[in-house]
Amino acid sequence: MLDKIRYFILRALRNMRQWPLLCTASILTMAIALATVATFFLVVVNIEQLALRWTKEIQVIAYLEKIPDPQDLVTLTKKLKAMPEIESVNYVSQTEAMQRFKKHLGADASLLEGVSRDLLPASFELGLRPEYRNQQGINSVVEKLENQLDIDDLRYGQKWLERFNDFAHMLRIVSIILGAFLLFAALFIVSNTIKLTLYARRDELEIMALVGATMRFIKIPFLLEGAIQGLLGGVISLAFLALSFVFILSRILESFWLTPAGFELLFLTLNQQIILVLSGVFLGVLGSLSSLRRFVRI
Amino acid sequence: MIQLYNVTKKYGGDSAAVKDLTLQIGKGEFLYITGASGAGKTTLLRMLYAAEKPTRGQILIDRQNVSRIQSRQIPYLRRKIGVVFQDFKLLQSRTVYENVAFALEAQGKKRYEVSKKVYQAIKEVGLEHRLQRKPLELSGGEQQRIAIARALVVDPLILLADEPSGNLDQEVTFEIMELFKRANARGTTVLLATHDHSLNQRFPRRVLTLDQGKLVGDQQPPQI
Repeated sequence: MLDKIRYFILRALRNMRQWPLLCTASILTMAIALATVATFFLVVVNIEQLALRWTKEIQVIAYLEKIPDPQDLVTLTKKLKAMPEIESVNYVSQTEAMQRFKKHLGADASLLEGVSRDLLPASFELGLRPEYRNQQGINSVVEKLENQLDIDDLRYGQKWLERFNDFAHMLRIVSIILGAFLLFAALFIVSNTIKLTLYARRDELEIMALVGATMRFIKIPFLLEGAIQGLLGGVISLAFLALSFVFILSRILESFWLTPAGFELLFLTLNQQIILVLSGVFLGVLGSLSSLRRFVRI
Repeated sequence: MIQLYNVTKKYGGDSAAVKDLTLQIGKGEFLYITGASGAGKTTLLRMLYAAEKPTRGQILIDRQNVSRIQSRQIPYLRRKIGVVFQDFKLLQSRTVYENVAFALEAQGKKRYEVSKKVYQAIKEVGLEHRLQRKPLELSGGEQQRIAIARALVVDPLILLADEPSGNLDQEVTFEIMELFKRANARGTTVLLATHDHSLNQRFPRRVLTLDQGKLVGDQQPPQI
């Protein structure tokens, strides 16, 4: 058994050495295909991450018609906190609203001298739980608030939210279509490159069948070769991705997407890196398998 | 050893490459299959090593029905049969040693067993001084001797040769024939497809003659 495994590995390595050009072509094709898919994945992940950051800013502000007395305020706050959609409740009194306004005006705060501190309405600033930071979540909160409170006005960045929703929706569709297309293209190219390498070695396959090699015996070294090439392709694509992330991708993303302060661009996690390399192995084996079916006939 | 009963092979259309062939070949026989190009010699050999299935009829080799053989059994049938071609079918990127060893490795033989038998087989064809050469560095005759060594290294019951001397001059052809004779003397049944009548004149044996797929002659060698 060990003798056989050793033989298969040696054969796979010897085949690769005997056809260095074809072998390099296979490895590079897989590396490029995987790096393209992974780069695309990274861009999508970072945009989604950025979008997730933006949604943290989503909150509903309910301006109150009447100023609640302290007793009512406690009850109201409790009631709001009990809503499943709401994560945080912050009451902004008229005085506090005025102070914020003054701070906002800065040097021009003197304009407010003599203005009644009752000018600005009191309000609740309501933060939403992550799963409700979308159009539907906001709609349900708004509906409940309108039914339960005396509200003068509600603000929740309607237009911005709609646009963001459209964008997120489009991003998801585009990423699924493009991702599927890229994966398919990668598999197609890899399988064709392997077909080319097998075509160059069809004599060897024919002679093996002639001298009584079993299908398994013929196929295993080629599958192993596909796996080794895929592994190398995966590792090269990871290295390429890391380099391009540091020197190109992060700069483009930073400048293009106006990343907020403190936002760190994401690279692949360790698990994702392992998946990338294993995808290479999978791609190599699958490409070999589909091509072998065509070339190995007993 | 080999029995054919009403074997016909058609490749689509009406004309048959082999028509209603019935014959018996005993263990340890040496015979020629002759006929013009397209007579069906190659098709007959291909059916014997299960590269083709007969359209009709039965083929038995060593009591195994080859006409009904399943794909996964074919390799085991081929381990009993050595095949030699006109174009040698050697792997150009491998050395002489590796080419011969290939047949044993493909059958999953152990390494120590391989090296011993390969050396023996190459010595048998007189090329032990060429072990590390690549086929293209050898003459046509030497390449064919390597192909014969590869076919014989597995100790086959049957040796099939399809125009083995087609690319060789007469002197080399006679050398090759000596190798076949030696294999036959050790008990291997030899079937040699050729249109070279000089072989039978020099080495008289049973001759099967095919014409347009039909067996038109089965001539025993003259008794000495």
